[in-house]
Amino acid sequence: MIAVILIKVLIIVALVLGLGAFLTLVERKFAGHVQRRPGPMVVGWHGLLQPLADGLKLITKEDLFPSMGNRILYNLAIILALVPAALVFAVIPFGPEFSIGSISVKPILTDVNVGLLLVFAFGSMAVFAIALAGWASNSKYALIGSMRKAGIVISYEVVITFAVMGPIILAGTLSTYEIVQNQIQQKLWYIWVQPIAFIVYLFAMLAETGRVPFDIQEAEAELVTGFTVEYGGMKFGLFPLVEWYVEVLSLSAIAVVLFLGGWSPINIPFIGFVDPLFFLGPFSGFVWFILKLSALFLLTLWIHWTLPRYRIDQITQIAWSVMLPLTLVNLVLTAIIAPLIWR
Amino acid sequence: MLSWIAFSAFSAIAISFSLGVVFASNPIYVILCLLSVLVAIAGIFFVAGAEIVGAIQLLIYAVAVTVFYVFVLTAVPWEKALKKDSHYRVEGVLSFPLLIALYGQMIFTFLLGISASPKGEFKRLISSFGSTEVVGGILFSKYILAFELVSLVLLVGMIGAILIGRKESQTYDSP
Repeated sequence: MIAVILIKVLIIVALVLGLGAFLTLVERKFAGHVQRRPGPMVVGWHGLLQPLADGLKLITKEDLFPSMGNRILYNLAIILALVPAALVFAVIPFGPEFSIGSISVKPILTDVNVGLLLVFAFGSMAVFAIALAGWASNSKYALIGSMRKAGIVISYEVVITFAVMGPIILAGTLSTYEIVQNQIQQKLWYIWVQPIAFIVYLFAMLAETGRVPFDIQEAEAELVTGFTVEYGGMKFGLFPLVEWYVEVLSLSAIAVVLFLGGWSPINIPFIGFVDPLFFLGPFSGFVWFILKLSALFLLTLWIHWTLPRYRIDQITQIAWSVMLPLTLVNLVLTAIIAPLIWR
Repeated sequence: MLSWIAFSAFSAIAISFSLGVVFASNPIYVILCLLSVLVAIAGIFFVAGAEIVGAIQLLIYAVAVTVFYVFVLTAVPWEKALKKDSHYRVEGVLSFPLLIALYGQMIFTFLLGISASPKGEFKRLISSFGSTEVVGGILFSKYILAFELVSLVLLVGMIGAILIGRKESQTYDSP
């Protein structure tokens, strides 16, 4: 039993860090093609080894430290950023339960019955890393950037919590695994009945992960790069890795679980599921999950590389006076349709 | 066995960092120690199987409350934050008997709670329903009046905060 858990932990850690590094290449190629240029082409076939080269370069760089900063907190901020972001993956179900020989394995690390609450608790813990990174650097750009980002995270954490309330009511549980199970049983992806919540969730996801149009904490033109400005080498590299890749992946996975039916194939509301990938047999669930996850990730990239950014006051204004009322309206609508779906 | 190891680890963390909360002189270390204590207590809740309480401990105390301490501290000028002579020492000593009384009340309530449910009825409920449903059920049946009153108080507090925090259309400075 412990062996199974250890294997799961290893897979998740390897996936989070390895995939995160590889996604930098995906992003650079994607950005390149959006802007009609080829992107990295030199290192390896079509730049396939670029993440390795980047990593080597970042690791071998000189470790600079601002002279009046606080060294303990400066380093602690990196750990505080990485650990909660990686912990979110503990409650993400990657596929249906399967069995090897006599052992049945759920592809989720811990199926706690408050999984979603944990996701948002860990998600908001990113605030500490950001606030400390900005404060310990002893630089005004870093401090302004971290205050902006912390304000955004707090506003959108409220919004995102209200947005996921709809799917929770429809599923009647907080466990991520059972939310997917209930969608399969009710033969309904919740996106069909919760479109408002889904759109609000996407906005909040972009804001929490510091993606355009909400990347005001970086705002290269005014703040250099915001709260990471005093970090160098791999210490700098870890912040975008966590924010732009690990957090986007985890929040997209939660969106897939909540709105797109997790590992279930294409859904026709109330009638059933159509599986064009039936020939994959037991692997089809995992492939569907990965496909949906990649679709959401690419959507994020698409938005990132095509839109300009909002001003800070516009961002908080949107959160409190557009998004929050929308989620409340959605909550009322959910209360009306919920009995129809529970049946 | 495994849960005992986890429990003692979390307890050790909680106790040692709560000493840090009391004795550290740098306010930002105090806040970080407080954060560690709260996270460790959430861990103890998880070990005890009270998942909903642990998650709420993380969400409300470790994030929502502590974040505002960090905010205040990062916005306050550093010389003011380090000043020590503003601590209310006399008042602290005077309030000590009250503190003892509060702790006494807490221990008394705890003992009362143990004797109230000696057969572990809640444990049976939780194992058959899951802790979230049990908490919801109790809140909306036995404690419905207290729950509604608390939500009313929170609503009043929220309206007050909005009133205080709103932008004044006219201030004393404006001509």
